[in-house]
Amino acid sequence: MDRTHTLTLLRKMIGEDKDFRPGQWEAIEAVASKKQRTLVVQRTGWGKSLVYFLATKLLREQGSGPTVLISPLLSLMRNQIEMAGRIGIRAFTINSANKQEWAAIEEALAKDECDLILISPERLNNEHFLKDVLPQISGRIGLFVVDEAHCISDWGHDFRPDYRRIVRIVQMLPRGIPVLGTTATANDRVVKDVQAQLGPGLTVHRGPLVRESLRLQNITLANQSERLAWLAENLPKFKGSGIIYCLTVADTERVTGWLKQKGFSAEAYHAGGNGTMDRPALEQAFLNNKIKILVATVALGMGFDKPDIDFVIHFQRPGSVVAYYQQVGRAGRAVEKSYGILLSGNEDDQIQNYFIESAFPSIDVTKDLLKVLENSEGLSLYEILSKVNISKSTAEKALKLLEVDGIVGQTWDNKVLYFRTPNPWRPDVERVNRVLDLRRSELAQMQEYVDHQGCLMKFLLNALDDPHPAACDRCANCKGRGFSGEVDQKMVIEAESFLKSDQIIIQPRVLWPFALFPDQKRKIPLEYQNTDGRSLCYYGDAGWGKLVQSGKYQEGHFSNELVKAAAHLIRDMWQPNPFPGWVTAIPSTRHPKLVAEFARRLADSLQIPFYPVIDRIREAPEQKTMQNSSKQAHNVFNTIRIVQTISHEPVLLVDDIIDSGWTLTMAGYLLKKQGSGLVYPFTLARATSRNANG
Amino acid sequence: MTLSPDSQTLLLLCSHLGLSSASEYAPMTLKNWNPLAKKLLSISKRPADLLELDKEELKNLLEITEEEAERIAHLLQRSGTVAIELERLNSLGIDVITRADSDYPLRYKQRLKEAAPTILFYAGEKDLLGQPGIAVVGSRHLDDAGQACAEFVGNACGLSGLVLYSGGAKGVDSISMNAALTSRGTAVGILADSLEKSIRNPENRDAIYRGDLCLVTPYSPNAPFSVGTAMGRNKLIYTLADYAIVVASDAEKGGTWAGATEALKSKWLPVFVLDHPDMPEGNKMLLQKGALQFPHPFPEHHQELKSWLDKHTAEIKSDPCQLSLFY
Repeated sequence: MDRTHTLTLLRKMIGEDKDFRPGQWEAIEAVASKKQRTLVVQRTGWGKSLVYFLATKLLREQGSGPTVLISPLLSLMRNQIEMAGRIGIRAFTINSANKQEWAAIEEALAKDECDLILISPERLNNEHFLKDVLPQISGRIGLFVVDEAHCISDWGHDFRPDYRRIVRIVQMLPRGIPVLGTTATANDRVVKDVQAQLGPGLTVHRGPLVRESLRLQNITLANQSERLAWLAENLPKFKGSGIIYCLTVADTERVTGWLKQKGFSAEAYHAGGNGTMDRPALEQAFLNNKIKILVATVALGMGFDKPDIDFVIHFQRPGSVVAYYQQVGRAGRAVEKSYGILLSGNEDDQIQNYFIESAFPSIDVTKDLLKVLENSEGLSLYEILSKVNISKSTAEKALKLLEVDGIVGQTWDNKVLYFRTPNPWRPDVERVNRVLDLRRSELAQMQEYVDHQGCLMKFLLNALDDPHPAACDRCANCKGRGFSGEVDQKMVIEAESFLKSDQIIIQPRVLWPFALFPDQKRKIPLEYQNTDGRSLCYYGDAGWGKLVQSGKYQEGHFSNELVKAAAHLIRDMWQPNPFPGWVTAIPSTRHPKLVAEFARRLADSLQIPFYPVIDRIREAPEQKTMQNSSKQAHNVFNTIRIVQTISHEPVLLVDDIIDSGWTLTMAGYLLKKQGSGLVYPFTLARATSRNANG
Repeated sequence: MTLSPDSQTLLLLCSHLGLSSASEYAPMTLKNWNPLAKKLLSISKRPADLLELDKEELKNLLEITEEEAERIAHLLQRSGTVAIELERLNSLGIDVITRADSDYPLRYKQRLKEAAPTILFYAGEKDLLGQPGIAVVGSRHLDDAGQACAEFVGNACGLSGLVLYSGGAKGVDSISMNAALTSRGTAVGILADSLEKSIRNPENRDAIYRGDLCLVTPYSPNAPFSVGTAMGRNKLIYTLADYAIVVASDAEKGGTWAGATEALKSKWLPVFVLDHPDMPEGNKMLLQKGALQFPHPFPEHHQELKSWLDKHTAEIKSDPCQLSLFY
């Protein structure tokens, strides 16, 4: 195989003055010439995509079939595909968003006019892909590429169940088909595991992970208000753009709100909020520097490649060193100086422990799910949820795991149906515990990093089993200086007041849940819907959240501070128009006076009357124990009723904590049916755990 | 599951897996495969030896035409996609067995010889295939006597440890199979279509899970129903069993008639026909053609079924035959 020829191709792709990076040619040769099974471990930005594009080109020149590239990051590959086009590689992606192109792609494959097909791991189990696309390749797979190969290992920080399917496929592939795995983050344990799973013939090509431009620093500030203040004070010191990572969706929204208020160009980026966010547009705007700061959850994931990121700041501490390295490594790919600053605070452990505990669906949940499936030939997700009391995301997670293990299958009959396969199910307690233990030790290692007094880069490299870890002479610990961890108290007070006034909107529900009224339309008639409402805070959060928590469960009484804050929010910030003429409250027999008494004081403060017109017919289980919409709505339905004639003026409908929103939706529906004016829901807090991991 | 290279080759050559319906290259039928297998035997090669060859080499080695070599080369290139398709089938609980596997049902090779299917897809307990048992066949529409007989034989099989063989269709098939399974017996259903769908049925799935049932088909796991496959499947029911009982047959038409006359002619096994005053015309004619009488109601205790069948069996010998792994 000709190195010179390959170099010519490389220069055509990325520029006449370019050369192979160390290791690139070796990896290309291993795959395209020696047809070896190869794992490439190189830091992001090294140019792994060049390896598979050039290998594809060379293999195609030898008459091989097209490359099948499996990657979880298809949307981020547009630029690379363009680059590959410069050497005549015709690459196509098949995904649910480009249905209109499928026929053309199938035709290109049939005519052998496709050199590379990109698919997500999920697609390997997709009927259309298996029936219509794959056969067009006529089996002539020239090269099988597994991007982000560390996802194969459940020792990896980012294990993905779909990758187990990839492992089984690779094991069945004939030896003549070269396989290339690529990853930027894999320590020895993960590499060994990937090797064990993909077969002993796997050769590993491993490069150094150090980032020459990155300056690391750790700053601990206990309270969110202090960290917000730190951001406001220090962000102006960075010239270019950057990413701020948060652990939860709520935090990204809150930090973004604060930064916007302080005049920064910042946007939130996450997969929460029903996935309505236009993430590709945000990525594009950020890439073009139209947005300076992206405040993101891990949804801004692997492979996002913007070369000129000046800083990556963590508002909260990530769960593992590997995850941290990967995220902070987005900075400084093509800039001389960049910063990786880890802020950490009081809430980090609590959030991380929640993530660990909810990482796997419990065995009981899985058993319930299987029992329901075993009694049927196939059920839709909503049918499952109406029979099992688990959240939608837990159900999806459990079904996904069961599916890759061959316990549950999927079929299509106008909608996706899940069915039980005859394969036996044995709960793998040991495996789950092993992974959970690993997560806990990773968390502990991350805390060690926070407390580490020596070179921070070297700590990371050691943790990642870099072959040649050395002190960087750049990080705050090596230099003995960095950004100040001190914050101006005035700014902290401002941040505190921001946290307290940060408005949380309650979106009215517009549809009844599935199967509540089987013979009725699911749409709630517009005239019986609630209006936009507000919550004072996120439950348990810094700000008012802690006060609500202790008020509800310790004092049995919401403090006057909360009444004042609520009245302030409603009268001065929210200013609903027309303003409510009266207040009512959702009663609960569990805490008989708690909400009503708070609502009465709130009404006094707003100088409007309080009428307790809603009654509970019978006590339902606490709404938070109901795990999905369908169950929640059933739980509420028939348990509340209106007991007196009511005012036709707009009403403020008060509850302590909004969870599913069904109680408020149902109460609002009944109030409006009885002739009330607009219904404005208001709650002290919003429960957060359900979408914490957006 | 890992396939042997020989089995993999058979799968590539003879199955539709990973092949586009519009493909210009159809998989090999038995008629295509058998001469090729003979050829391989004569030159002391195994199927897997073909995997590494290109079109020219195939042409020279097998002494075949350009077109044939191209077809074989094309079919053999599918290994990557077949791996992916096979993974999916495995995850649904479906496995493959080919004529190149040592645990391929011996009775198919002995009785069907060249007509033994190259590939079987199955779900469930494979070891049931070819265990001592009784095949029950008949039309979907049954009179009372037929229904009672199907139930009786199924029960008797279950209680006496015999495998109940059937076509897994509605009517006789499912009545006898359910009777066998509910009496904690075992059953084999040889399907003409829709294996993938059949194992979603909760009763089938539970029985497979318990190891009491094997559903098997020579056709694609998602093949739709067709008269042709239903006809072609009939002999695969007879040739796994020790005895066959025809519960009800139309006269000179329909699948039951065709299958029963074929079985009588081939002398694979003793064929009984349900004999009662209101029996269908087809039953009478099969008796005239040499089928044995199976009385209704059965005169003895159900535990005596096997010995009764043994006692009433005329000497039926099958021809001795040479067995080869993939041939």
